[in-house]
Amino acid sequence: MIQFFQVSKRYPGVEQAALNEVSFDIPRGQFVFLTGASGAGKTTLLRLIFREEIPSEGQIVVNGRNVASIPRSKIPYLRRTIGVVFQDFRLIPRKTVFENVTYLPRILGQDLRSQKQLAFQALRRVGLAHRLNAFPPELSGGEQQRVAIARALINEPEILIADEPTGNLDPDLSWEILRLFLEVNLRGTTVLLATHDRDLIQRIGKRVLTLDKGRLASDVEIEGTAPPRLAVPSAEASDFVEPVP
Amino acid sequence: MTLFQALAYFFREALVNLLRGWKTSFVAVLTIAVSLLLGGAFLLASRNLLESVQRWRQEMRVVVYLRPATPDAVLARLAAEASRAPWVASAQAVSPQEARARFRDIFPGLSGLVEGWEEEPLPASIEVSLRDGRDGENRRAEVQAWIDGWRRRPEVEMVDDDREWLGQLETLVAIGRGIGLALSGVLLGAAIFTIGSVIRLTAFLHQEEISILRLVGATEFYIRGPFYTEGLLQGLIGGGLATGGLYLLYQAAAARSAESLVASVLTTGFLSPGQTAFLVLLGGGAGLLGAIASLRRERLNTAEG
Repeated sequence: MIQFFQVSKRYPGVEQAALNEVSFDIPRGQFVFLTGASGAGKTTLLRLIFREEIPSEGQIVVNGRNVASIPRSKIPYLRRTIGVVFQDFRLIPRKTVFENVTYLPRILGQDLRSQKQLAFQALRRVGLAHRLNAFPPELSGGEQQRVAIARALINEPEILIADEPTGNLDPDLSWEILRLFLEVNLRGTTVLLATHDRDLIQRIGKRVLTLDKGRLASDVEIEGTAPPRLAVPSAEASDFVEPVP
Repeated sequence: MTLFQALAYFFREALVNLLRGWKTSFVAVLTIAVSLLLGGAFLLASRNLLESVQRWRQEMRVVVYLRPATPDAVLARLAAEASRAPWVASAQAVSPQEARARFRDIFPGLSGLVEGWEEEPLPASIEVSLRDGRDGENRRAEVQAWIDGWRRRPEVEMVDDDREWLGQLETLVAIGRGIGLALSGVLLGAAIFTIGSVIRLTAFLHQEEISILRLVGATEFYIRGPFYTEGLLQGLIGGGLATGGLYLLYQAAAARSAESLVASVLTTGFLSPGQTAFLVLLGGGAGLLGAIASLRRERLNTAEG
């Protein structure tokens, strides 16, 4: 699903490589944490996956496509198979939740009825179906991040990438958001989540890729100390799973 | 997404952008309207003036004025001689009496000027109509030599050649049109620059949304389309305003044509539908060019991580 072969990334004028000969393979449906200190290369690695950056060396294969050599005109089609969530939510304040969530269906030319259906389904998955007409500034930080996740999920992407999605949230909300990602993963979506919150990783327990100064320092599977109990949701999607107290 | 859906989306977004940033859009539209109005005015004026020149050229005459007291027989002989030249359509002998009668008819208020003289006050003349006013260079030289020959004849007092001032007028019109087109070209360039700046500003204000669009998989066509459409609409509106303004100016001038020779010459006809459409489309093209040029150098911002 996501394969890195000896990938390096250097920026002009910067002596140290942002990524240095990184190799790994994430199979379909896996949940993987990407961790490391600030500046370790987490964001660069994620940006390489959705072709926001081009590797200086090495090959990257995503969904069977060589990302490094993909023509510029084909990049949008790659990105439609990848959902991306950021720490700062990236919502447009002057647009409603519905409008924020339905960018991709609009791009694909789906009619309003389909857009509403998809938005409702995606927002129901994150427990915000009742805030369809709200504007982002009216929502809490956790709710805004859930809207951003709904936007990333609306087209059922094969891969979900999250860059510090809980970085701006308090511990309770972080846990809530993490449960969402786990639920998404249970539906079969490959999840790659970058975080420097070691505590969160320890509690969940999954495969963990650790970057250190651009190098892949470790690639281990760890046992969680308090993994959440999740039921595999039905295809129709259940309501949002309440956070464990 | 079908092309129709994409175009509908482009126009919807462009209209929203135009309405939201109407002040900056207004400046861009006004700039293009002024430049096209000026260009259109010069085009229209020079076209109408040239039409008048063409009409005058068809009525163009060379008048050979004879010395006083030239006998009628000499007048008839010279007229017959003039009519034999291949480029002469007709040569009419006008006696001093006929000349005086004409003067009285044309200027009845000044008829006293030609009455009461012992001798005829006006000379005999030969009015020569030339066959074609648009001869080639060789023929023009031959005609000129022929006229110069008449000037040298002892019976001839002077020769009045309409072609001289018509040629000068044509040159003046051509110079005026050139200056006008150059000036409107400069203004059009400024308008393209203004529209480009407005579009770049709009794109800057939308950079966050653009980064999201790019992130979720929008194509460049989808992202840039609304901005191109906005430039196109600004140009078309500017072109439309210029055409409307030009028509109002034309009507105002036409209303004065009875009392002003200049107004009557300049208002022989408005732009044809094709020329009107060209003016509006030129505005649209300038707007589109401004948008393309402004976004060509922009990467329209990308998602940052």
